Amino acid sequence: MAEARGLLERRHEPWVTLPSLLWLILLFAVPAVIVFAIALRPTDPYGGIGAGWTLQTLRSLGNPSYPSILWRTLWLSALTTVVCLLLATPVAYVMARAPARWRHWLLLAVIVPFWTSFLVRIFAWKVLLHPEGPLKHLLVVLRLVPADGSLLYNAGAVLLVLVYTELPFAILPIYAAAEKFDFRLLEAARDLGAGPLRTFWSVFLPGIRRGLLTAMLVTLIPALGSYVVPDLVGGPTSEMLGNKIAQRTFVDRNLPHASALSALLAFAVLIPSIAAIALERGRRVRGREVQL
Amino acid sequence: MIGRSVRMLAALAALGLVAGCAKPAVKTLHVYTWADYIKPEVVQRFERENGCKLVIDTFDSNESMYAKLKAGASGYDVLTPSSYYVAIMSGQGMLLDLDHRKLPNLANVDTAYLRIALDPQMKRSVPYMLTNTGLAYLKSKVKDPQPSWAMLDRKDLKGRMTLLNDMRETIGAALKFLGYSLNTTDDGQLEQAREVVIRWKANLAKFESEQYKSGLASGEFLLAHGYSGDILSAQEENADIAFLAPREGLSISCDDLVILKDSKASALAHRFINFLHDPEVAAENSLAINYLCPNAAAYAKLPEEFRNNPAVKLDPAVQAKCEVIRDLGSDNAKYTRIWDQIKAAP
Repeated sequence: MAEARGLLERRHEPWVTLPSLLWLILLFAVPAVIVFAIALRPTDPYGGIGAGWTLQTLRSLGNPSYPSILWRTLWLSALTTVVCLLLATPVAYVMARAPARWRHWLLLAVIVPFWTSFLVRIFAWKVLLHPEGPLKHLLVVLRLVPADGSLLYNAGAVLLVLVYTELPFAILPIYAAAEKFDFRLLEAARDLGAGPLRTFWSVFLPGIRRGLLTAMLVTLIPALGSYVVPDLVGGPTSEMLGNKIAQRTFVDRNLPHASALSALLAFAVLIPSIAAIALERGRRVRGREVQL
Repeated sequence: MIGRSVRMLAALAALGLVAGCAKPAVKTLHVYTWADYIKPEVVQRFERENGCKLVIDTFDSNESMYAKLKAGASGYDVLTPSSYYVAIMSGQGMLLDLDHRKLPNLANVDTAYLRIALDPQMKRSVPYMLTNTGLAYLKSKVKDPQPSWAMLDRKDLKGRMTLLNDMRETIGAALKFLGYSLNTTDDGQLEQAREVVIRWKANLAKFESEQYKSGLASGEFLLAHGYSGDILSAQEENADIAFLAPREGLSISCDDLVILKDSKASALAHRFINFLHDPEVAAENSLAINYLCPNAAAYAKLPEEFRNNPAVKLDPAVQAKCEVIRDLGSDNAKYTRIWDQIKAAP
């Protein structure tokens, strides 16, 4: 009987996934293929797309100015992800262990900033870090920054604002995982002689592994594609790949080149995603073997 | 039964249409231009004098305007693209040859500007408004300001200056600083300009094309490379802002009045262009929108403080060294390459 029901469910499965599948095909796969295709078309000097096909644009990705931008995009995004995970994990731990009536307020505190526009929050950072602003004056008085220095328009400012914007996206999945975590396991580990650090590292973290993985992906992927943050708080040497794509599109009027860079970015995003899925699947398979 | 009533309705509707057409239609002129680029009272006066209706539609970049026309948008009569885009559109056969017999006011157009204009004979375009790209600074914070691009080498302003995030304007400033044409395609000159911009870059807060106005007004930036029209507007907010027209020369950009080839109201369009170059109208319009209409007869009608502001009207010796940025076609790629190298430099 149970087997029959399982079979029925499996037969319904394609129909249940159809809407999301259509959504993905229409709004992700088709546009991605169009972007890849445009990368193989020639440009015309008026900003249009020429006739025929060419590999010229792909070859021009060898442009000697790209490695530095690519490298900056990668390290800024990776560092943003690491900092976000380091900050989000203890926050999520505290939230999950907090008494239930506190928990809602803490969750609200994480979500409330979303009620303000993303751009307004970045401009708020510009006001906060203003060279004539109170924060700057305080840091100068404390002799932490030179008087003629600027807190804005450098890679540090980009990192700070990127961490700020991505942090809630890291906290929420880790919190969701931590909430389901059975905290009695920590007590058991302590009973068995593990120190607090060991307990946290070997019991808690593996327990919320899936939340950490999701948090990593949802911070790394948007960080790789960031454009507005480096544009607004970055300096003359904090350009990221997203800014280059914007320049190719709006200034150079070179859509094939912008598409080639976008394709590159898409691959940069796909590789960690596929790696994460493979890792997770590998663990699951191994887990099943252990169970057997 | 139903069929007959449908036919009746159709007949009635057709009758209504015919009746509508029978009325003397008000002539309409469709203008496609930048936002806030013409004084509303000037529009009303033209409508009153010509018994017509003016419909204004706006664009925010030459590129988007051009893309819309290429995508098949029709029905526009008069447009105001920037000169380099006029050259592109003219090359594509999109513009009407102007009939100078219908444009007597063209005699008022400033010949000093026409000497550097891209269409000096005004065959298909008439200059509408000029803007200069120079330097703006805060009077209370910048000591000993000099009208020169060398200001960007000042170490005391390090980290508080901006250059436009626009390859032609910024490389052009360096070319002017070196005494070259800002439309050069000479690789050696471009490489020298690259080294200058890379040197300046070390002193910059950032490359910025929009936020420099608010940055100056709030005292965040002390010196900014920018467009005179924007800087005049910022001056209205913060009187501490002043404009410098570098003596080595600078770029002048002009938006031109053109008529599309497929315009159905070309006679009215000619009247509109002629009207905008009436000295009285040109002065009133310039004052309202903070740009200079290059109309020599109108200059005398402008208040002295507006006329003497270096952001409005350049000293003739400096103006002689100014140039209008041209579209370089396939040579644009040279500038893109130099710009990429500047952006990638440490």
